[in-house]
This record gives sequence, C-alpha cells and structure tokens, in this order.
Amino acid sequence: MLEAIDLRKSYGDHAALEGLNLKVKAGDIYCLLGANGAGKTTTINLFLNFIEPTSGTAMVNGIDVTQSPLETKRYLAYIPEQVMLYGNLTGIENLEYFARLGGHAEYSAADYQSFLDRVGLQANAAHLRVRTYSKGMRQKVGVAIALAKQAKALLLDEPTSGLDPKASNEFSALLLQLRNDGAAILMATHDLFRAKETGNRIGIMKSGRLVQELSTDEVSHADVERIYLEHMH
Amino acid sequence: MYRLIAMHETRALARTWALWAILALLVFAIAFAAWSGGRSVSRQLKGAGDAASYEVGLRDRMRQETAEYEAKVKATGGPYEFATVRHAPGQGPPQGTNAGAVGAETAAYIALPPTGLAALSIGQSDIQLDYLPITMGKSLAMTANAELENPVNLLAGSFDVAFVVIFLLPIFILAMTYDLLSSERERGTLAMVLAHPVSLRKLMASKLMARAAIILLVVTGLGLVAVLAVGNYLETPETWLRFALWIIVTLVYSMFWFALAVLVNIYGQSSSTNGTILAGAWLILVVIIPTLISLVATTIYPVPSRMDLTVAAREAQTAAEKNMDKSLNAFYAEHLEYVPAGDQRAMDFMTLGQASANTIEKALSPLYAEFQARRGQQQGLVQRSQYLSPAVMMQLALNEISGTSSERYEDFLQQAAKFRTEWNDYFAERFLRQDPLRPADYDSFPAFRYQPEPFSVVLKRLAPSLSGLLILLLGVALVPLPGIRRYQVAAR
Repeated sequence: MLEAIDLRKSYGDHAALEGLNLKVKAGDIYCLLGANGAGKTTTINLFLNFIEPTSGTAMVNGIDVTQSPLETKRYLAYIPEQVMLYGNLTGIENLEYFARLGGHAEYSAADYQSFLDRVGLQANAAHLRVRTYSKGMRQKVGVAIALAKQAKALLLDEPTSGLDPKASNEFSALLLQLRNDGAAILMATHDLFRAKETGNRIGIMKSGRLVQELSTDEVSHADVERIYLEHMH
Repeated sequence: MYRLIAMHETRALARTWALWAILALLVFAIAFAAWSGGRSVSRQLKGAGDAASYEVGLRDRMRQETAEYEAKVKATGGPYEFATVRHAPGQGPPQGTNAGAVGAETAAYIALPPTGLAALSIGQSDIQLDYLPITMGKSLAMTANAELENPVNLLAGSFDVAFVVIFLLPIFILAMTYDLLSSERERGTLAMVLAHPVSLRKLMASKLMARAAIILLVVTGLGLVAVLAVGNYLETPETWLRFALWIIVTLVYSMFWFALAVLVNIYGQSSSTNGTILAGAWLILVVIIPTLISLVATTIYPVPSRMDLTVAAREAQTAAEKNMDKSLNAFYAEHLEYVPAGDQRAMDFMTLGQASANTIEKALSPLYAEFQARRGQQQGLVQRSQYLSPAVMMQLALNEISGTSSERYEDFLQQAAKFRTEWNDYFAERFLRQDPLRPADYDSFPAFRYQPEPFSVVLKRLAPSLSGLLILLLGVALVPLPGIRRYQVAAR
C-alpha cells in the first residue's frame, strides 16, 4: 500500500533521506524509530507530497505521489504529532468538514456522531468547540477523520508523544482496530514500548538511512531497546 | 470543493469576533459619512434654491411695479419712460424699467446640479461653490469664490463615503486576509487540509472566494443603502449607471488589496510579519504617497495667495474710485439704494459704477487667470502621479463618478462665464440705450440652463483612473501565481 523506492531528499549539501526502500502492506503497522533528524518526518512528508523528492519514488496504492498527488491523498489519512483542527468549530463540524474534503459527503449527522463514539470521544464533547479539547481528544478526532475518510493508508508522525499512558494506550487500541479493518499504517515514533506492543514491523533510521528492520514477534522489548541503542552509538 | 471550502471559511470568519467589530465600525462609518454627505448635498440644494427664489422675488416685485406703471400709463395716455432716477413711491417710472437696476441689483443664481451620487463623494464641492450669483458688472473672479488654496482636500478629502471606502475598507479586507495561509500553517491546519485531495491553489482560491463574496455583499449592500438613503434622482437611469460604476471601481480597489495580501502571504512569512508588511503598505499607499503628491503639487505650482487677489481687488477699486470726482459719487455708485429719490445724478452714478466694475475686472483678470492656471497645473500633476497610489486613483475615480470632480466644476465655471457675459450684455445694452424694460421683457431675461455633460465624457475622464487600478490589480495578482508551487507546507 505504501512503498518508497530509492527515495532521496536533500537540502543543498545536506541529505535528509538517502535512498530509502520501504514497503508497508495492508494490515501492517510499521513503526519508524530513530533520533530527531533521522528522516522519519521527511519520509512522511514525501508520502504526503508536502515536499518533492530529489530522486526516487513514493507510491501510495501503486500510484506515484508526485505524478498524481491529489489522487493518492484520497487513500491517505494523516495524524501529526498534534492533530490541528479549527478551534472555533465544534468536533463534529471539524469531522464533517474534513470528511467532505476527503470526498465523503454521504454521511448523516448520526454517522459523524458514531465515528466520534467509535474513537471514544466523550459524548458531550462532540458539540463543544475544539479550542477546549485536550491533545488526546484531538488525536481521537484525527482517527475519526481517518475512519470517515475510509483511509487505506495512515501516516502518523509521533501521534502519542505527550499523551498520558492511558490516552496513549487507547490510541494504540484504535490503531489496532484500523489495522484489523485492513489499513496500512506507517508511524514515526520515539516510543519503543508502544512500537513493539502495537507494531508488527519496526524500522530503525539513522541519518537518512534505514539501518535495520525487525519483526516484532521475533524480538523482545529488551531486544528492541538494545538494538536501537546499538545503532544510535 | 470550492463551495465546501468557501462555506467553511465563511463559517470560521463569522465566528471571529474581531471581524464583526471591524465590520460594525465600517457600517457605522459609512452610515455617518452618508448622512453627512447627504446633509451637505441637501444644504447645497436648499441654499441654491433659497438664494434663487429670493432674487426671483425681487424681480417679481419690480415686475409688479412695472406692470402697475404700464397700466397707469395706458390709462393716462402718457409716455412709457425709463427710470433714470429713483422716484418716491408712486411717482414717475419705477426702478423696474431700468435694465441697469434690474441686472445689477438682482442676481441670477446659477447652480451646478449635483449628480445622483453626489452625497457619496463630497470631493471639492465643500470648497467650490456649487451656485454662483451672476450680476451685471461684477466679474466671475469676484463671485466664484472658490477657496483656491486647498488642493490638499483633493487628496485628503473630507469624511465622506469615498473616504471610508478608500481608508477603512482596505483595513477590513486586510484584517480578513493578512494571514490567509500563514495562520493555517502556524496552527497546523494547513497540513491537515492538504493531506486531503485539495491543491493549495484551489484552497487559496476558495478562501479568497469566500472573502470576496463577503466584500461584494458588504460593498453592494452598504452602497445600495447609502444611495437609497441619501442619493438623488433615483428615478433616472444615469444615477444607477453611476452606481454601477461606483460598485465596479470599489470592487476593483478591493481586489487590489486582496491580491496584495496574497502576494505577501505567498512568501511564507509568519502572520505577524505579513500583518506588519501589509499595514506598512496601507500606510504608504493610502496615507504617505497621497500626502507627498499633494505636497509636491503645492510646492512646484504654488497658487498665489488668496490675499493677493483680495488686495488686488481693493487696489483696483481704489484706483477706479479715484477717477470719480467725489467720494460721494463713489459711495452712491456702490449704494444706489441710498441715492435720494428724484436725484438726477443717479444715472451717472450707475454708469460710473459699471465703468469701475469694468476697470476692476480688467485689473483682476491676469491674477485670476494665474489662479486658474496654477490650479490647473496642480490638478494636472495629481492626474499624472495618481498611478503611484491606488488611493489617489480611487479618489479621482469616485469624484468623477459622483460628479464632484474638478473637471466637471471647470466645465460649470465655463458655462457660468458664458452666461455671465450673456446676462451682462443683455442688461448693459438696454441700460446704456436707456431702453425702458416692459413687464413682458421680464420673460425674456437670459436664463441659465445647465448643459449636462454627455455620459461619454464622464467615462472618458474615468478611464485613466479605472484602467490604472485594473492594471495595478492585474500586476499584483499575477506575480504570486508561480510562487504558489514553491510554498512550504511543512517545516523541514
């Protein structure tokens, strides 16, 4: 579903990404680990066509992102570190707007409410202005947007950083639901525990390169941390 | 998609209280400006009407006396005579038979009729008299009492609807638009939106469409209410033609400010930087450049002091009076009403008066011509340098549309000068021939009929300002197009 082929991005002399090859299939939760500046966000921005690759190809559902950026975005959902919404609109108004932007005008008010129920947003919050929401609540709306959009691939950029353990746990549960529905999920994260717990594959990045890939069922929590730290030294 | 984003934007804008505050200010300012403009136009109309009817009343009374005299002459079979002297009431021919007395002691008030939209742009009409008394003897230089030393008014203007449109409307527009993209990028919603199948260009176009629709609504709505409230001649198509032009130039001017905001946004600076740049642009284009143009105009082409004209008039008058043998003559020449009834010298006084008026006019005409020339040069400079600032182009365009432009006034002055000659000649000729006026003659006095300029002249004079605004808009709007592709959605 998500595929990077020899993907490169440089800014002048500095190479942010050096020949990344990566595949995330439907039903995968692929966790990208790495220090700040390792190229995780660059990878996600390339899949979103927010930046143009210097060379190589980013594919979504077999379609080249730079060739048909609007077409590929129909399959994508994006949950950044902070899901930013329109503060003076309510949760349900935000959800409706983004669902319609994604080309889904078919939902009724009850449908929107049920999306918010599914992601576990408090029942009374849907009609409050998003300005009053906590970060966890906004991340939930972000997932609801992905649900409403019926996204086939999710790009998550440190979505759980700054969430308390309970909220983080709830968020992971939602990801597993989405994966079970057949979504391909690419998540950049610093949370090794959450990566092993939720993900089925892990990629470790360093200075723009993918230095190692792991399957989470073959390694323990301690292994993940050890391997990660080995690469960081 | 455009509709969806535009509707969303409208909803988000509608929930921004600051915009409501600015809108309320705009509405209040326009209401006040329209009220004040309407009051000034109706005062003008009333002033012209009152003055004219007062003079008509004077002539009616003279005509009445002449008619009574004619009837008496017919009954007694005596000759119908010219009143060379002021007779005691009931004795001899009345003053109304004397063309000199009628032509010089009563005035014909001629007026430049306001256009239907005059109340929307006062222009220079507060310093240019829109109605002038025309009398025999007195030159236009003495009566056309335009305040010649205030070209600043052309640029700074008075508090009228045009002022609100030129100064405050851009502020409303910039308040909606200065952070068109930057705020979304700073809040992070831009990335959220662009993760959906929407191009940046489409997003920006939709955001602009929402704002343009608001401006269209505000401008036409407020304009329409203002015209209905304080406009004149609402039944004539010309008024509505002018209103259509008013809407067009106002929208073009608005679009310029939108385009400027987009241009600044596309360079990807922060909202506060964008706001500062745009506020600076507003200050330079709306305040500083117009003031500089005015300053340069008055420095390069200084108009002789108004005092000089007054002093010259006095000197000429003194010189003319010296030619009269006695100061009593001079006094009576000026104040015929005090000449004792039956005094045979009254006719001489009057001829002297006429002669002295001619001398004064001759003495004044070079100075008056210099005033006119300098003012023409100043206005020429303003016309030529208007392209430096959309605000100046807009002021000139709105003045033209409202019929308060200096060109229209010049045309009126020319018509006034022509009529003044006509009036003077008619009465001077009858007076010098001592040809008595009969009641029936009162119907054939020269009458002023204002010749309205053809609308094509208005359009022709509007063309430089309007096309200047259009070219500026096009220039500013086209520059950002290539830049959209390079806009940084996400931080590196």
